[in-house]
Amino acid sequence: MGDLLYLYGLIPTHEATHPLPSIKGFDGEHEIFMLPKDDVTAIVCHLDHTAYSEETISDKINNDMEWLQEKAFHHHETVQKLAKQYTTVPLKFCTLYKNEESLRETVEKNMVKLKETFDLLDGNEEWNLKIYCDDEQIKQQVSESNPVIKAKREEISALPRGRQFFEKKKMDELINQELEDEKNRFCEDIHEKLKSVSLFGSIKKTWGKDVTGRKEKMAWNSVFLLPTSNVEQFLGNVEQYDGDFQEIGWKFEVSGPWPPYHFSSFS
Amino acid sequence: MTVRETIENKDIALIDILDVILDKGVAIKGDLIISIAGVDLVYLDLRVLISSVETLVQHKQGTRNTINSEQFDRDREALDYAATQPDEWSHQR
Repeated sequence: MGDLLYLYGLIPTHEATHPLPSIKGFDGEHEIFMLPKDDVTAIVCHLDHTAYSEETISDKINNDMEWLQEKAFHHHETVQKLAKQYTTVPLKFCTLYKNEESLRETVEKNMVKLKETFDLLDGNEEWNLKIYCDDEQIKQQVSESNPVIKAKREEISALPRGRQFFEKKKMDELINQELEDEKNRFCEDIHEKLKSVSLFGSIKKTWGKDVTGRKEKMAWNSVFLLPTSNVEQFLGNVEQYDGDFQEIGWKFEVSGPWPPYHFSSFS
Repeated sequence: MTVRETIENKDIALIDILDVILDKGVAIKGDLIISIAGVDLVYLDLRVLISSVETLVQHKQGTRNTINSEQFDRDREALDYAATQPDEWSHQR
């Protein structure tokens, strides 16, 4: 058989007794199915290797945005459905295996790690928190009340007028520096507080405005693994921070639960 | 509806999905350049995914300014043109 295998996720075989939801695969034709290998079961679909050759896929991805968008959503929705029913190790977008044998081999090699991961994920959920801020508003606060800035202002006012001019020019740079420090302090503090209700918390790269398309700046991007029983509290805390700090320029945005892409690794 | 349900039912943007489905391998440098490292891709060329995310991000931005080759070419043409024009300020010296 010349078909490729598109791998969506891996689940413990003992949970595989629960039937798979009926979902069409990556090509919109073949159904997804289970492929067991001892204690681990892979959720896959067939893909015709001629229709989905490396060239075809790369051509589609580069030239057909709607196709890419549709497939990224398809991948997400499928994995999301799996994660609702099973303890799932989700796979990255477009993970393809040449045949069943190569997939089985990879699973076998990672068996121990996979079982540990299933144990870690069982009963826990992955949530994402992004913190946005209005730089101008926070800059204003820094400029008015930051102790370093205050001290610098006093220092400058004692200087002869000629030198004051040049020192004031440097002031803006100093304020920007203090602004970044202030933002980090604030977000780190929130992060630590939220970590106390989580199993793990980790910090991800923030995205530029060009990527987010928002006028506020993304100050923090983080991901948490939470025991399901702590989720309400976590969300309650975030809601409270949002209420407390919105007026001074901060916005909190939570999304989840996500299939645990961050807290599982299969490679 | 609980807070949880409200959040769960919210629509998710493609950018958020890419943030997670490509995450471990995706690093955003600056504003637009996205690079990928250590992604488990047995079949697909890594470069394919890199270009896809870049193009996608630009595509999503629609009318906003993006760095692309057409814009770059236009800018270069404009500069070339300007550079070949007689300097209208020179006679003032």
